[in-house]
Order: sequence, then C-alpha cells, then structure tokens
Amino acid sequence: MLTTRRNFLQGISSLAALAATSGALPAFANVALTPGARKLAEEVVKSTCVHCVNFCGIEVQKVGGVIRSIQPDRARRDVYNHGICPKGVAGGFTAYNPYRVKVPMKRTNPLKGVDQDPGWVEITWEEAFQTISDKLAKIRKEKPAKLIWQHGHGKYLIGDSFPKAFAKAFGTPNVIHRTTTCESARHVADDITWGYHGYLPDIEHCDLFVVFGANYFEAEQYARWLDHAVTDAKERGMKVVVIEPRLSHVGAKADQWIPVRPGKDIVLVMAITRLLIESGHVDAPFLTTYTNAPQLVGADGKVLRDGEQPLVWDTVSNSAKPLAEGVVPALRGSYTVDSKPVRTAFDVYADSLKDMTPEAAAEIADVPADTIRALAAQIGRAARIGTTTKVGDYSHRYRPVAIHTWRGMTAKEFGVQTWRSALMLQMMLGIPDAVGGIKLSAAYRNPDYMGPSKCEYPPKRVDLAKSVYFPNGHHDVCQQVALTVLDPKAYGLQYEPEMQIFYATNRPVSTSDTATQFRSMEKTFNVTIEVHMSETAWMSDIVLPDLSYLESWHYAPTRSNPHAKNTAIRRPVVNAYNLQHDGFTILWELAKRLGMLDAYVDAINDAWKLKEHKFEKGRDYTARESVEVLWANATKGKPFDIALKEGFVATKLAPVDVYGKGVEEKFRGPGKPKMQFYADSMVHTLEKVKKTVEKEGIKNIDVAQYKIAYSPIPLKEHAFPTPHREAADLPFYLITFKRMYRNQSACSNTNPILNFAIGKDTNENHVLINATTGAKLGLKDQDLVVIETRIGKVSGKCKLTEGIRPDTVGVSYHYGHSIAGWPEYARKGIDVNRVIELHPDRVSGMNSYNDTKCKIYKAQA
Amino acid sequence: MKLVRVIDTTRCMGCRSCVAACAVENHFTPGAPWNVMIESEGGAYPNVHRTFVTMNCMHCENPACKVACDKAGFKAITKNELGVVLVDYDKCTGCGYCAAVCPYGVPQINEKLAPLYPGQAPSPMEAIAPEDRHWTHRKKARTAEKCTFCWHKLEKAVQDGKTDRIGKDPQYTPACDLVCPVDARAFGDLDDPTSTVAKAVGAKKAAQLKREYGTKPQVYYVLEGGEV
Repeated sequence: MLTTRRNFLQGISSLAALAATSGALPAFANVALTPGARKLAEEVVKSTCVHCVNFCGIEVQKVGGVIRSIQPDRARRDVYNHGICPKGVAGGFTAYNPYRVKVPMKRTNPLKGVDQDPGWVEITWEEAFQTISDKLAKIRKEKPAKLIWQHGHGKYLIGDSFPKAFAKAFGTPNVIHRTTTCESARHVADDITWGYHGYLPDIEHCDLFVVFGANYFEAEQYARWLDHAVTDAKERGMKVVVIEPRLSHVGAKADQWIPVRPGKDIVLVMAITRLLIESGHVDAPFLTTYTNAPQLVGADGKVLRDGEQPLVWDTVSNSAKPLAEGVVPALRGSYTVDSKPVRTAFDVYADSLKDMTPEAAAEIADVPADTIRALAAQIGRAARIGTTTKVGDYSHRYRPVAIHTWRGMTAKEFGVQTWRSALMLQMMLGIPDAVGGIKLSAAYRNPDYMGPSKCEYPPKRVDLAKSVYFPNGHHDVCQQVALTVLDPKAYGLQYEPEMQIFYATNRPVSTSDTATQFRSMEKTFNVTIEVHMSETAWMSDIVLPDLSYLESWHYAPTRSNPHAKNTAIRRPVVNAYNLQHDGFTILWELAKRLGMLDAYVDAINDAWKLKEHKFEKGRDYTARESVEVLWANATKGKPFDIALKEGFVATKLAPVDVYGKGVEEKFRGPGKPKMQFYADSMVHTLEKVKKTVEKEGIKNIDVAQYKIAYSPIPLKEHAFPTPHREAADLPFYLITFKRMYRNQSACSNTNPILNFAIGKDTNENHVLINATTGAKLGLKDQDLVVIETRIGKVSGKCKLTEGIRPDTVGVSYHYGHSIAGWPEYARKGIDVNRVIELHPDRVSGMNSYNDTKCKIYKAQA
Repeated sequence: MKLVRVIDTTRCMGCRSCVAACAVENHFTPGAPWNVMIESEGGAYPNVHRTFVTMNCMHCENPACKVACDKAGFKAITKNELGVVLVDYDKCTGCGYCAAVCPYGVPQINEKLAPLYPGQAPSPMEAIAPEDRHWTHRKKARTAEKCTFCWHKLEKAVQDGKTDRIGKDPQYTPACDLVCPVDARAFGDLDDPTSTVAKAVGAKKAAQLKREYGTKPQVYYVLEGGEV
C-alpha cells in the first residue's frame, strides 16, 4: 500500500509542480501529495437537525452512500445557528445505531416492568397494524377518550398537528405533549400576563443580561442562537449576570455568578423590585399605557369594573373611570370608590413588598444583601428608563436589559409565580418589546389565556389540563396522565383509559417519581413508536420502529433569531435499516384501517390551517407529498425545488415588525386590553376553584394551597414549596440539570461518539457536592454516595466541586437507564428522577424538578 | 503560507462539538482521541472560575515528536510544506517516544482498534473499506495517532488548486473548525494579513502555548486564564 502511495505521490507532486508553473500553487510545488481514497460518489444534503428542540440547519455529507459528516449549514448563520452541538455532529450514529428498533415487535410476557423480560417476538407490519387497529376500533366504538396519545420529541418529528388531527377524527381529547417536563410554567405565566407565550431577549441591543438558571451554552430552546449572540454581545460589552445554585457553563462564562439557594429566586426578584421602586426606577408611562398596573383593586382583590370596563383613577377628574382618551390614570395611590377603599394594582404589589428588604431576601435566598443592592442598581442604571433609540430609521423605547430563564425559575411548584415576578419587574422597567429588552412572541394571540380559567369538572382529559385541578394547564400536564390512569375516579374522570400510544417519548423516565409512572403503564395496552428501544417501549405491548430524523421527511419546525423568520424542511439522507414507516405513515395507515381517512384529512387541513394548498380526500399521501403540501402553504407556493436545494427560505424582519407589532399594537392606550401586571384573572379563577370544590365535594384539592398558588401577585410563600416546608430535617436541596451530551433516549446513550470520543466524563453523571461540604462528610471524589429523599434512594459516584452551593446537591438527568438489553456503558450513572418528589405547579401543572430536599451519605461498601 | 489554528478560549463554552467533529471525520476508535477538551476549575466557592480549552496537535514548526522519531531511526513523522505534521503508520513502531517528548501530550498510541459498538457488527462508517479511506484514516493498532489538521482536506485544496480557500470553504477546512457554535475556532493563513487567524493573533493577542520549549506551535490560543 505504502509503495503504491509513494509512487502516486510522485505523480501528484508532478501535477502540483505543473500547477505551480501556472501560478496556482507557487508555495506547494514540493508538498507530498497522496492518493487519498478511491473516488466515491459524494453528495451534500441540506436539512434540519431534530436531535433536540433547536432545529439547526445542517449539511449532511454522504460519501459512497454513507453519512460521513454533519456540519452546520452556513446559510443559516444570519437566521439562527452558527454551529451545531456534539449530538448533532454525531447524528450519523443515531441512524447507524445497532440498538435501534428495526422490526415491529410484540410482547409475550404479560408481566410488565422495567425488570421484566418482555419476551419480544418479531411480527409483520400487517399483524402490527391489524392488532392496533382492532384495538382502536373497539375503543372508538365504546368511548374514544379511552385512547391516550402521548408524544414528546414526536411533536417535532412530524409536527403535532398530525396527531391532533388523528385524535380529533378518532374522537379522543387525549393528546398529551411533554411541556410540563420543560418550561410550561414560563409559558403559562406569559399566557396569563400577555395572552401568549414565548419571548426572545434582544441580545443584539442588550447591555445587561440577567440569567436565572438558563443553560443556553448546553441545551435548551434557542440555545444555538443565544450561544453565539451572547458571546458576540459580551465582546461588545454586554454584561452577563447568572443567578443559579450550580455553576453551569453559562455561569462559567458570565461576568458574575450569584449562587442563589434553590427555589428562592422569587424573593431575590421581589427585593430588587422593591429597591427599584424606592430608587424611582419605574417606567410609569409604560405601566399606565400598556398594563393594568393603574387599575383599581378592591378589598376582595378584584379589579373594579364598570360593566366589563376596568376602572383607573383619573387624575384629571379625580374619579374612577375606564381608561379613555383624556383620562390620565394614577399609577399609585389609595382612593375611595362608592365609599369603599381601593388601591392601584401597582400599589397592591408595591405595598406587599414593604417587608421584602434586601436583608429579608438575603436571609431566605442566601445571597448577600449588598449583592442584591448592587444588582438592583445595575439593572436600574442599565434600563435607561425614559430613553429611546433608533434601529435603522425606527425610533423606539430603549431598555437594554433582559431577564432570561427556562427551567431555572420555572421547574418548581411555584414556577408560574416565580416567572411572573420577573415579568412584573420587566414591565415596571418598560422592557417588553423594547429595543434591547425582551421581544414577545405573538402578543395577545389567545385572549382566553388572560381571562379566568374554565375550571372544568369533571375533567374531560386524562391529564386534567384546564380542569379544576390545573386550571391554567394550557400546555398539557404530561406527568399527571399516570396518576389519573392509576385512579381515574379520584379525579372525577368518567372513563377508564385503556390504551396509550407513545410516539418518540420516554415519558416515565423524563418525569419525577418514575416508579408511579411505570406502574401506570401496567394498566393499559401500550404501543410505542420509537427509533431506539427505551424504557417506555420496554413497558409496551407493541413496539413499532420509526425512521430517524436523517431518514424521513418533515415540514420542519424552525427557530430563528428575533430579527428573522424562516421556513424549512427535513429530508431523508439514508435509510440505514430499510424501514418502511415513520410517524406520518403509521397514522395514515391506522386512519385508513379505521375507516376515518376523510375525517382525518379534514382534521389535518384544520390543524395546519390549510386553504389554498391542502390535503385532498380520496388519495394517499407519502411523507414527501405531505411536506410538499405544507411547504407550498407556508411559502405561498414557492417551488419545492428550493426546499430540496436550500433546505429553507428566510425573511429578515424590518425593525417595525420586530418592535412595533406586539405590545404596541395590542395593548397600547385606551380601548385596548392591558397586560396583566396584576393577575386579576387568577383571583377569578381561584373563586371558581373554590366554588367547584365546594359544589362537587372534591376532597383532593387543598383550597388553601390553591389560594397561595393563585395569588394575583408574587408572595414570599412562593419561595417555600412543599418539601422546603415539610422536610426541614433534610439538610440539602436537590437540583437537576441537563448536560450537552445526552437526551432522554437511546439515541444519545448508545451513541459511541458521545460516550467514548468527547471525554471520559460523558457516559456517566455524578452527584455534584460542594468541596467543603464533601470534606465535612468525609467524602472524596468518586466515592459512592446515597441520595435519600422522602420517596426513595439512589446512589452514584460523587464529584466534589467549588461550583455548587454548600447546601445543594446537583445531579444531571438522563443517565442511569435500566434496559437490560443495552450495553453497560449506556446504563451508567444515576437516574435522579426516581427520587424527585412530585408537587406540580397548581397553575400550570409544571413538574417540580428543583424543589426536593435530601440527605447524602457515603454508601456502605 | 503558514497555516495556523486560533482557539479563542474567551469564547469557547465547552460544548465539545469540535471534539466530536474530529472523531467523526477522522474515524475515531476508542482510546485514541485526536482532539480533547480540558475543563479546569479554580478558586473557592463562591469565587470560582471554570475554563474550557481544546487541545489537538500543535503542528509545531520544530516538532519534538519528529526529532525523537528521527533520532530513534524510524522516521515515521514528517512535516510537509503546508506545515502539517503527519505520522506514517507503516513506519511507526508504536515505541511511544513521540508521546513521551511532546510537551502538549498529543500523540496517542492506539493499542487496539476497538470497535465503536462492542459486540455488534461494525457500523457503516466503520465498515468503509481501507481503499475507500484516506491513508491517514487507515489506522493500525500499536501505532501513534494524532490530529492531521485534516490533511485529507488540505491535500484536496492543493489538488484542486484552491489553497486560497483553506479555512474558508468547508471542504478545504479541518472538520473541528467548521462546527463551533460560538465561532471560537478559526483556521487559515497567518501570512495573509486579512485572514481571521492573523487578525486574532494581533487584536486578541492569541499566543502559542509553552513557548519555552522552542517548538513554535502552529496553534494559537486566546487565553481566558486558568490552567492549560
């Protein structure tokens, strides 16, 4: 081989020399060129990564029919991602993974448990479809609601509009997404406050970025834009303050790390708010023009109204009036209306903060009072209240401060209230939709979110979303499904769920108190559609193989920066195991076999809001054909060749579209609804909860706790979730977090690049313990320690670090898998979710990942 | 032309995408990484810092590994006119002298070509036939391996007469330098004053590591502090 190569070298060197004479390669006439490899067919496919929820643009290089590399699509740099994460880089091994589900299988062992051998038997697609459709037909005839469809990442593989359409045609209300394992409390706080959810910090113009436990350098929504945007902004001079109990990668790159005690960030925000009010950092024009802060609140906690019209105190006429032209509302003050005392909503909150001094907050949050004062002053200065600036030719309010979070503030029992405290602070400074502030997504898209909840009872849905149990569960309550399945009557559900279909979700492993989750799957007939074997699949009766994101078509979900929009597709590059079906074709086939295809097509057109370009009845669609329809609809008929060649189309937004279409159009001035600085709707929802509980004799709702959860303003009590109150004898706070190198299923825990190639520390997680604390406990690095909470024990190796609070223990999730068929390395580590107590946020249903308390000790040898 | 890499540790946030890209591109086998991430923590709670530094071959102008290999008589290590230091697996005996003398701990003696999926059939990427691989990817057990600056890509630039596109076009640029989410890495010609790498060396004070050894690395670091 070598000889041949050298001979060839000489030839190539001659070529190089020849080239040198022509001036092309003057410097390399003597470079020893080599033959390289045999020339194989090469192809670069532009597509979209769906390894996580960032949906990065990618270029997949295929050589000789084999995926050889995955790189970021440079054309997306102005729209979203500059690079891609190691999971995306190693994505080829998702497709080529030998631990994939490759054939339909049925279980032969009736005993279900993660410790049971399911006795898998390979079956044909025909048998699989027939068995499933027979079961579905029976359920549809009896009570369609007995079918539960659950998806997690499945939502992004084909879009949740298809499962929702299938469920609508079938007749079940039970389509359950995973948002309560992610950030639903943040979304619900947004929903209640400004009528929809989602925002992006305007990093390009921001001067101070205050981050509460978000982790944009590792893995969460918009991480692949925020990572480079924040890094660039830091170089320009933006300051980053990170407030979190554990020093994350984000904290490590920040200007300041403030290690707050877990669950106590709300009092920090309240104290900062108090200080800023004291120092006069209040954007009164913003509050009176866009929010309900000047509205008058009575002794019953409700906003005063004249009919439907909320009342403010008009400083011109010195009387209570609806906001109208000529009315100048007072932001502050106590007044008398109809002989009854009232205060402005702003003063209700301001007055409530009188005891929340920096010292009081310091006592609770264990952050020095001087640090709180300094941060408040920094925020106040940076907010530049009263200023405007120009972006292009567009002149607009300038507030270059943004507060940011995902799970950090919200994965807790009082997650909605905690994020609302930050929203209220930002409203007080005029930050929403300001240049340099936070850009709201689709303000007021759903006005119902800002009104009292229906508080439905009996619940229609198995997850109890929007029922009296989780009145504002706008984003499903995924972990509740298991509890309801185990005891439907306890929640007033008027049917017994019979069948669950899990599409690309490892739900039981992803939520807290996992033993209960697994137990629920013993009660139902379960079908799992998955790329890789998972614990959920292991507990199923039938498992169907799915195509991976590198093997299937989809009109892809996208992310973009605040100044752009884009439409993209995902397309197959290979089919590693020659599989026939994906989620789309499985649903299509089932709809056909159930004789409901026409209804399904109607429901698809409704769900995707298709009009000109839509699905037609009387014909089948391949996955590609479905993407062509959706592309044509989204792009108003652009040729599909563009999608095939470029992978996406993008639009850069004009400044007026970025800053002028949200709160400016929806909330500004008289005659418009107002952002709920004061959550009046929550007062009314609480009233409905009380009435429903009393009327229906509901025993498992503690109204006193709902009163705390449904407070119209943040309270000190929101810093004390159930374990903090009840488990005072347990000395440590237990928090969980995500690492870059894993997600919940086997696509990452059996990926050799992620497990062997990028470090010796990636295929196992550790119990992070403060070094001083560890020394006091007699622990050394790598000692086996036990974490004991009120619901169980797990053990794992410890890692001592200075980067965590002395009273806090941190464990990343998505390790410690339990499938016997996986290799040993894929099962290493700690499944911390087993010992996380479940005390969901009563408002949103959000899972309480960061509230549990524990003790730790060295495991016995 | 002097090809160099600049790694900006003030931007690097430790994601290890560059490490993964190297592994995928260069037919990684367990136990012999060509690119590694070093995370360091310093200080005491709550005054803590953590730094992220990726390390690969420095492609030194005076490579200690080559000197050792030449002295030992194997002459398995070469440095070509693009400045790339390469190991010839056919000449390498796996003696380990190169690994012993490298101030940066770069050469890896790959004791065995372990499969990526132990106990399973080779994946299609592993099953690519030797004749379909670049020679730098035709690995052998008990030989030294290390980063090649993705020589198979640079070589292609030479073959295509596109050396001016090195560091600019993905097909002519090392894999690790293409995937960084925060643009912490750059590759290119230090002799070109308009290049990203030249500007970084000037404006950001990017510097070589362990200059006291006189090896003159062709990898430069913008250092944030902490241990390297």
